[in-house]
Amino acid sequence: MRYNEKELQALSRQPAELAAELGMRGPKKGSVLKRRLVKLVVNFLFYFRTDEAEPVGALLLERCRVTQEEPSGFSISFMEDPERKYHFECCSEEQCQEWMGALRRASYEFMRRSLIFYRNEIQKMTGKDPLEQFGISEEARFQLGGLKA
Amino acid sequence: MGAMKLNERSVAHYALSDSPADHTGFLRTWGGPGTPPTPSGTGRRCWFVLKGNLLFSFESRESRAPLSLVVLEGCTVELAEAPVSEEFAFAIRFDAPGVRPHLLAADGPAAQEAWVKALSRASFGYMRLVVRELESQLRDARHSLALHRHSSWKAAGSCCKPQAPDHRSLGLENGHSPSKDCSPMDLVEERGSRPAGQGLAEWQGPASHFLGRRQSPSFPETSYFSTLHNWYGQEIMELRQRWLQRVWGSQPEREKQDGP
Repeated sequence: MRYNEKELQALSRQPAELAAELGMRGPKKGSVLKRRLVKLVVNFLFYFRTDEAEPVGALLLERCRVTQEEPSGFSISFMEDPERKYHFECCSEEQCQEWMGALRRASYEFMRRSLIFYRNEIQKMTGKDPLEQFGISEEARFQLGGLKA
Repeated sequence: MGAMKLNERSVAHYALSDSPADHTGFLRTWGGPGTPPTPSGTGRRCWFVLKGNLLFSFESRESRAPLSLVVLEGCTVELAEAPVSEEFAFAIRFDAPGVRPHLLAADGPAAQEAWVKALSRASFGYMRLVVRELESQLRDARHSLALHRHSSWKAAGSCCKPQAPDHRSLGLENGHSPSKDCSPMDLVEERGSRPAGQGLAEWQGPASHFLGRRQSPSFPETSYFSTLHNWYGQEIMELRQRWLQRVWGSQPEREKQDGP
């Protein structure tokens, strides 16, 4: 799959929802915990060596699962291979919760479900479709049928 | 590809997953493998799938491996000067040094317009903006409804107080004690005072009427009002909780379906 690295690097410089230095260990056997600057930008998690400007890598946060790991860490795994886990170590339980919360809200699919939920609730209460004012009420991605997927 | 890593297998898996595609169709493309680097000739016809803020291309509609990925963040989509034979071209331009625009062409004017519209609204930021707007509209609607209901009870006479204990016990049954200082209440209060969305104009009538009376020193039920207000805040919390449960409760099921 072809993609332009420069486009992703540009995205990694966009304002972050959350950024911190965390311990990070990849899914490969024998991987060791490394210090990484971890940045959440939209639905991508970028990780950097602490002395470099460009990211080492990025994880697209769609169809992923965020799990708490003892003592104060969490892991991210992806649905096509749940055994492959990216581990992260935080400084405190509090920081861990903050990251887990932000990562779980970071997927486009989560936003889509939220939007459909709010749209439906508002319509039930007011009898009006709140998306009409934006001119996007017809868009397929905002229809109730999309919820089931 | 270069030095930067990406969880490509997961990305490809998402491209093919059963979550809804936001737009699909055939487009001509230039600059990929097997095509000249400069836009000339008729380019290459590929199947494109827009999913969230990601645009994938495939060899054909049936193909299971994406050829390319463009992340639609920090870019603009505009109609483009097409190579000679292509009338319905458009370009995705990135505001980043050394990044060439992606030139694409649709088969006709309707498809061109639909693609430009879909791509220019595909960013995560746009989605987040709409979600936040609806979130606050729902708060406003609940807030107004609470005020509206109370003002109708008031109009029906001041002997309607028995309704309040009912609501309160409902809250307690669900295991939440009506705490006065819970933070979501502050949110409701704060959002309630900002200008509401246009769609809520009809809710504003009774609400502002009621607020006017509440400010009058002779209005006797201010404390009751805050109880009621609290209760509706609680309902929002419960609603949110149910919604979160639903959203996250559905995850394991999907995982089973998609299991290895």
